[in-house]
Amino acid sequence: MTGAAISIEHVTKRFPLKGQSAGVMALEDISIAVEQSEFVALLGPSGCGKSTLLRLVASLERPTEGTVSIGGEAPGSLAARHALGVAFQDHALLPWLNVHDNIALPFSLANKPVDREAVGGLIDLVGLNGFETARPGQLSGGMRQRVSIARSLVLSPEVLLLDEPFGALDAVTRRQMNIELQRIWSRQRITTVLVTHSVDEALFLADRVLVLSARPGRIIREVATPFDRPRDPAVMRSATFHDLVDDLTDALHPTDATAHAGR
Amino acid sequence: MPGASSRLIAIACGTAGLAGFFALWQVIGHYQLAGLSWPPLTAVLQYLFDPDRHALFLRAIDATLRSTIAGYLIGALTGIGLASIAYTLPMLQRGSDRFAAVVNSIPSIALGPIFLILISREATPAGVASIHVFFIVYVSMNSGLASTSQAHEDLFSALGSSRLKRFLRLNFPSAVPAIASGLRLSWPAALIGAIIGEWFGAPRGIGILIINSMQNFQINLLWSAVLLAAMASLFFFGMLTLVERAAYRRFR
Repeated sequence: MTGAAISIEHVTKRFPLKGQSAGVMALEDISIAVEQSEFVALLGPSGCGKSTLLRLVASLERPTEGTVSIGGEAPGSLAARHALGVAFQDHALLPWLNVHDNIALPFSLANKPVDREAVGGLIDLVGLNGFETARPGQLSGGMRQRVSIARSLVLSPEVLLLDEPFGALDAVTRRQMNIELQRIWSRQRITTVLVTHSVDEALFLADRVLVLSARPGRIIREVATPFDRPRDPAVMRSATFHDLVDDLTDALHPTDATAHAGR
Repeated sequence: MPGASSRLIAIACGTAGLAGFFALWQVIGHYQLAGLSWPPLTAVLQYLFDPDRHALFLRAIDATLRSTIAGYLIGALTGIGLASIAYTLPMLQRGSDRFAAVVNSIPSIALGPIFLILISREATPAGVASIHVFFIVYVSMNSGLASTSQAHEDLFSALGSSRLKRFLRLNFPSAVPAIASGLRLSWPAALIGAIIGEWFGAPRGIGILIINSMQNFQINLLWSAVLLAAMASLFFFGMLTLVERAAYRRFR
């Protein structure tokens, strides 16, 4: 068991907006408990506040009301302890550093000596052997995201936050990245929150999928995935998987009923 | 390769433009279309490259370049230093912006006498040059620092980076291309500053040649000095353009 439990209690987030004293309500009275070593996926339409929720856990935003705590600590103190791993849709690699140095960056920010073995191991894990000295500009989109994932894992964080890490990739690469991430995660089992709008991705990766409604974001559905780990990509072809996809797609788009559910 | 051919076209256009410019200069000078004070290019070149005058011109350009480079380095380091301090200590930002703007708004010709009092005649050219460079580098570094991407800022926050580490590992490298542009643009300004500074009693330099030849109506000497200054300016400007390109390649 690794990682810390995340507790989000009655969180409301409003953003100030000119001419509107109340501001825009991004999240309304959300409560989520993520257990230690649990992988939770937040699924929702764009603009439902799921990224905001993740930013609250990453200490990049503060809730207007309610509290967020990680293992009893405030998110900010977890970040200050360098115990947070993050990977966002924008890979945010430093263009002037090569692959190795980008992955090793968290060590420097944590004032720790670079663990070359850990960096090498992660390069191996994400399949970028031979690209250690390549710069981000020389890599494909999928490779950059892999570097970003490796960087998020390098300090063995207590909590891993993934915000649409594969959102900018094509469907084939994305699926492949999901399979790889699943393999990596099944070994480390770090408490993880993934934000996505792909139903398949959420179901294949997570232990529990939460569906958020459009603004203001509220949890409208919760599904525990019944698949064992490590997961074989074959589960995506199982009948149970398809039923769950239909179910969640329906929850996401209640208006067009089950017409597109099979996709 | 389309890149190579467009480059060839650019070089050809540039060469044609320069040749046209020189030809026009020569024609105007030769037929005295602009009066006696516009000599033909060939007469100026003959004057400039006359072996008897080598020592004179070498001494002058040597003195001017030394002042320019000294002022350039001092101004650049001050600009980078002040911009760094103001960025890491936000309470100083507003004050230091105002200071830079005020310094820049004083004409350098008015700063000369102040430098004469504060430092020596010999050091005044470098002093005026440094003021010119300081402002350009300060402003370009500020805009470079402000160009740091939000995604990178968020990453450093989530990873618990200290302010200093964030500056050294993120903001400063993000600003390098802008700083390099500032360094390129400030070279000609440094040279002008040094020449103006020389007018306040420097013992030698291109500025002295220009002012003396103007007063004595030595037209060929005047144009030679100006041509020399222009060549020095263009040469270093070209070198700094290469540095800037390398900075963009490395840091973008």
